Amino acid sequence: MSDNKIPEHDVVIVGAGPAALTAAIYTTREDIDTLLFERGVVGGLAAVTDKIDNYPGFPDGVEGLKLAGDLQKQAERFGAVIELGDITAIEDQGDWKLLKTTEGDMKARAVLIATGSDYKKIGVPGEEEFYARGVHYCATCDGAFYRDKRLVVVGGGNSAFQEALFLTRFASHIDLLVRSTVKASDVLEDEMQKFVDEGKVTVHLGTTTDEIIGEKGKGVTKVIGTKNGKKIEFPTDGVFVFVGLKPNSQFVANSKIVLDDVGFVKTNPDLETAVPGVFAAGDIRSGATMQIASAAGEGATAALKIREYLEVRPHPVQN
Amino acid sequence: MVKNITIFTSNTCAYCQMVKKYLGAKGMSYDEVNIDEHPHRQAEAMEMSGASTVPVTIVTKGDDSKEVVVGYNLAKLAPALT
Repeated sequence: MSDNKIPEHDVVIVGAGPAALTAAIYTTREDIDTLLFERGVVGGLAAVTDKIDNYPGFPDGVEGLKLAGDLQKQAERFGAVIELGDITAIEDQGDWKLLKTTEGDMKARAVLIATGSDYKKIGVPGEEEFYARGVHYCATCDGAFYRDKRLVVVGGGNSAFQEALFLTRFASHIDLLVRSTVKASDVLEDEMQKFVDEGKVTVHLGTTTDEIIGEKGKGVTKVIGTKNGKKIEFPTDGVFVFVGLKPNSQFVANSKIVLDDVGFVKTNPDLETAVPGVFAAGDIRSGATMQIASAAGEGATAALKIREYLEVRPHPVQN
Repeated sequence: MVKNITIFTSNTCAYCQMVKKYLGAKGMSYDEVNIDEHPHRQAEAMEMSGASTVPVTIVTKGDDSKEVVVGYNLAKLAPALT
């Protein structure tokens, strides 16, 4: 294909989570041609979260799937276009940024990286072997398969508590394995306490998850953990893991974009990366607070900074 | 040639929405089995996929052979639809 035929956009937003969709609302409202490119779920991790209680404007909380759907509708109302596929590389060509994708190449005058993060794995024996066959990372997707069954949930932060609370709808009992101490908010802890009092949830503090054991064709049967140096067995039908987040930044590995030690994208105070015209916002940004409200705010800021960036640069002519 | 597509979904599954959106964008029709509304059909999804997860997409070809795609996996779903 000749270079002339590569599709061009003023802005390409990599990702379609809350930061990306908010940025798109801002850019498209100002008639800036904007394409979002998403390899996973529109709405990102917010869309797979059962209930979001701390996003402003929803006094009773909001289902993650609904919030994601509404953000999408709002962005599309102003003309944002969402395409499905994966970006594999970004190349800085000065006035244009070349994006290599699974659906072909495209060019953008400015790029916003808003790819967010995914749940980490724990890296213990049995985790890979029983993936989707007893080991899960999405309670809202897979919880329904565990009606009246025992579950283990691994993690002690907000995600682990929120998802464990969702899983109480289905499970007969949940063992919550917390490696050190609880990091979840007081509100979630209070809510969890009700299920602890009912005997539906048991929280095991200072308990590591060492191995997931099962039978081929039957699925998971137990989890082996350690507490105070002593091995403990937790009989279970399934394991849900929520132990932190890892950045979705693999596609910039060979670019001049600078990452921090963990792999999150470094930006200046204008949310611009080391490559002029390439910005980052939301959970993917080094130093982000991993909150949906913050991601939305960063998306708005990035959109305004992108507008400033484009305003002082005449539209480049494609050769 | 695709003869028929069935997707097993649940009410709260965002990845299920993405599969439906992808098929919609391709102009392909499908039957949906929601396991929250039809819990007795959950075992069917597990038997077809070997996994306890949704979405599960069953693509029946013209010769009645079936391709099963577990999760929202475009790398597997796209070729299964040809």
